[in-house]
Amino acid sequence: MLGEAVRQCVEAAGHEYDSITQKDLLRAASFGKCFLTDFVPDPFVLTCRELRVLNSVRESSVGLPLTHTQFKQMTLQVLIDRQFYPLAIEICRYLKIPDYQGVSRVLKHWASCKVQQKDLTDEAIARAVCVKVGDSPGVSYSHIAAKAYECGRTELAIKLLDFEARSGEQVPLLLKMKRSQLALSKAVESGDTDLVYTVVTYLKNEMNRGDFFMTLRNQPVALSLYRQFCKLQEQETLKDLYNQDDDHQELANYQVTASYREKSAVDEYNKAKNEFSAKATEDEMRLLRFQRKLDDEKGAGLLGLSLQATMEALLALGLHKQAEQLYRDFRVPDKRYWWLKLKSLAEKEEWEELEKFSKSKKSPIGYLAFVDVCMKSNNRFEAKKYVSKVMPEQRVRAHLAVSDLEGAADAAIERKNESEMALVLSRSSTSDRLLIDRLNRAATVAKK
Amino acid sequence: MAAHLSYGRVNLNILREAARKELREFLDKCAGSKAIVWDEYLTGPFGLIAQYSLLKEHEVEKMFTLKSGRLPAADVKNIIFFVRPRLELMDIIAENIISEDKMHSPRDFHILFVPRRSMLCEQRLKEQGVLASFINIEEYILDLIPYDGDLLSMEYESAFRECYLENDQTSLYHTAKGLMTLQALYGTIPQIYGKGECARHVANMMLRMKREFAGSQNQILPVFDTLLLLDRNVDLLTPLATQLTYEGLIDEVYGITNGYVKLPPEKFAQKKQGEASKDLPTEPKKLQLNSAEELYAEIRDKNFNAVGAALSKKAKIISAAFEERHNAKTVGEIKQFVSQLPHMQAARSSLANHTSIAELIKDITTSEAFFDNLTVEQEFMTGVETDKVNTYIEDSIAQKDPLIKILRLVSMQSVCNNGLKQKVFDYYRREILQTYGYEHILTLNNLEKAGLLKLQSNSRNNYPTIRKTLKLWMEDANEQNPNDISYVYSGYAPLSIRLTQVLARPGWRSIEEVLKMLPGPHFEERQQLPAGLHKKRQQGENRTTLVFFLGGVSYAEIAALRFLSQMEDSGMEYIIATTKLLNGTTWIKSLMDRPEAQTS
Repeated sequence: MLGEAVRQCVEAAGHEYDSITQKDLLRAASFGKCFLTDFVPDPFVLTCRELRVLNSVRESSVGLPLTHTQFKQMTLQVLIDRQFYPLAIEICRYLKIPDYQGVSRVLKHWASCKVQQKDLTDEAIARAVCVKVGDSPGVSYSHIAAKAYECGRTELAIKLLDFEARSGEQVPLLLKMKRSQLALSKAVESGDTDLVYTVVTYLKNEMNRGDFFMTLRNQPVALSLYRQFCKLQEQETLKDLYNQDDDHQELANYQVTASYREKSAVDEYNKAKNEFSAKATEDEMRLLRFQRKLDDEKGAGLLGLSLQATMEALLALGLHKQAEQLYRDFRVPDKRYWWLKLKSLAEKEEWEELEKFSKSKKSPIGYLAFVDVCMKSNNRFEAKKYVSKVMPEQRVRAHLAVSDLEGAADAAIERKNESEMALVLSRSSTSDRLLIDRLNRAATVAKK
Repeated sequence: MAAHLSYGRVNLNILREAARKELREFLDKCAGSKAIVWDEYLTGPFGLIAQYSLLKEHEVEKMFTLKSGRLPAADVKNIIFFVRPRLELMDIIAENIISEDKMHSPRDFHILFVPRRSMLCEQRLKEQGVLASFINIEEYILDLIPYDGDLLSMEYESAFRECYLENDQTSLYHTAKGLMTLQALYGTIPQIYGKGECARHVANMMLRMKREFAGSQNQILPVFDTLLLLDRNVDLLTPLATQLTYEGLIDEVYGITNGYVKLPPEKFAQKKQGEASKDLPTEPKKLQLNSAEELYAEIRDKNFNAVGAALSKKAKIISAAFEERHNAKTVGEIKQFVSQLPHMQAARSSLANHTSIAELIKDITTSEAFFDNLTVEQEFMTGVETDKVNTYIEDSIAQKDPLIKILRLVSMQSVCNNGLKQKVFDYYRREILQTYGYEHILTLNNLEKAGLLKLQSNSRNNYPTIRKTLKLWMEDANEQNPNDISYVYSGYAPLSIRLTQVLARPGWRSIEEVLKMLPGPHFEERQQLPAGLHKKRQQGENRTTLVFFLGGVSYAEIAALRFLSQMEDSGMEYIIATTKLLNGTTWIKSLMDRPEAQTS
């Protein structure tokens, strides 16, 4: 029974207008609850809180004669709509409403009204908003700025947008306000390339081409993104871009990529002072002319091959003189040409020619190469011819290559080289008793 | 299923589960049966998050590869496009949809952008007149993918190229976003260090994004103590060198993609009695490589020269375990033996696989060509005759060895000599163009732009100073029982990892001079933690550092970091993150123009 009485006192206090009666009722409840063992305190505490709020909104200065039931239905909106911002904030804090639903909402609303005050300067409003709102979570500066823009205060909107931390939110409004340059730099600042692309596409449609290019020039990040875009989508525009920037190196590369327009590539590389590339491109043109000519004359099918592949093809066709000509004209290093010719002759099994070639002058690639290449064509007979010409330090390897263990052993012993002897040993089979003994003896001697 | 992700210091399975949950939620948004049309590039990375079984549970009945023309027939209610936000893909989708409409089939279309939706792409769809056909247009934020227990990768192949050649920092934006996601799950990382332009940019974006989320305080106890951001171009040398760890060599020789390797099938033919001469399989053998496999976790980071011993030791243990069966006498003992059988059989087949792989690789590492190539690399790294034309490179060109091999070596020489002399530079370039074709002039220009090839300026060659200060070359690298990270390259200690090591102790202040020689700024930032989240460290408890390689990292570098984590007195555990796992070959390939013209 007592429990019921306490409950009713609390409830009655809630519905009472007169604060003195409220107090009396609550005191009675408070007294009564002392005699209860299982009293749940929450309704009592809550009612106290709510009564404080109710009493404060019933003050004449606010003038909201709310009943408790009405209060339960009331949202913060009611207070906000009447612009009792400080009170609303106090209440939010007092009732421990989470910032997101409470204080921030009030601040947002306040700021949206503030920007409409015609008697204040942009500067003053922006400062006031910033001081009050600060970094409150959930208050979007871009939302406030949008309000300002709606009221025709573009400058204020821009100032407010500056406080917005999320660039993604700034950019669309800036575009709407036709502040495209600013939008572009904000987008770049955000690091979000998709945002940059969005602004760039917008600018492209809005501006004339010259202005557009000029704008991009001031934003290197945007410019390189646009270049990437053009590379995939608008090759011609890409060329214009490079032209405008006098980027001859890239122009030349472009010419090379586009369709091998070498002539203009040479010019551009020259303008870019890239001597090497200019020369290389000229060489390529020379080679192409040569290939075309031979293709016409002999149907050689050379066009588009690299210099090396061209010489290779010529040798394969037996056009030695033409290969020789390329070798000289393009200053091909001896070494590379010798390798090429060696391999080609071996492939065609022109062993006599090969021997002649080997004697034409001292081989710049040594003679082990001859041994190896012959062996690759499984011609030990020819390979052996070159073993004696191999430099001493490679001779063991040469002998081994043609499977001449005796010779290898002799060479290793002659050079008194332990590791070479070990190499030969590792290749010999146990049946080569004599050889193994000889090597072992020599190795012992060499050790001493 | 992905238990190996949760064994490490940081439970990366949380990240994977978060990604899976989001995927399920999206799939359930499209009620009814569905078919997925894949941007082919995404299938690999997605495999690390969800297998087909998960998709199937959510009524995915068919899967297609995105290609132009008409969509294949499928009796499903929903068609979902999983795509990267790229314009060329939008055009294909539009084509798919336009040709679909003519057939009047009532199917619902959805699009899932990975890793982020893009206004540019939606604009394109709008221009093509198909934007309105989509019921759901969403993004699936997949930046950092858990790759192994201590490894995250974005699987963003072109990141290095975009950053250093094209000045396109999209990958860095995704990186920063990925790090924010990571912090949301594992707590704010209080300390950020970095070296390089890209590192600076990422750190700036992270701090900026943190301001954007101001107010929503992260209440998770931080798991990571430190984040270290490293630009790949701070250390151009390391990926060029041939990796000599087991995993590194598998990658060098066969290539590991999205955690899988494809191997020649001959070595893996099932040798069952009775059907000995059955025809050999022709499909390459596909194996998944990660720490879920006990043996692999044990040997992956060893120098290859120490793998043989480890394998034979393991073989003895396994056969001893099988021998145990003779000792099992009672029913109870037999039962226990039988219960261990599946585990033992798995161990045995794993051993068989790795023995075969090791044999395959040994054939290569013992070849003369491999040895000669390695010798030249080591000469360059120790600074021997780096200012002259190298005979081995010259000969390799004459032999028409693969172009990428040549580019790797020439780049290495250039990096180790702080640029090549004009004469040497021109000679190499001419040789390459004459032999492999003029079109490679574009690739050469790219390598120059990326800093891999350059002309020596008048300034002194500073590589020897860097090498000596950071002890990049260790004469007595111990391959069997390493005591220093240099074992991963049999002598060369990766520069990037040395930087990491010095940062932990004694700190970067001790190497200011060297840091100034390397490109880009170095910096330190602190992120405030909410009160109450400051860790109270137990005595002897290790700190955890997340090392993020912007532009890629090699397996050997990862091995070196794992080695540092395991060193008893290091007091630091490393988790590794990167835009992409790479080796010298894949890296150079990503910088080539018209790589299809390359001679192999």
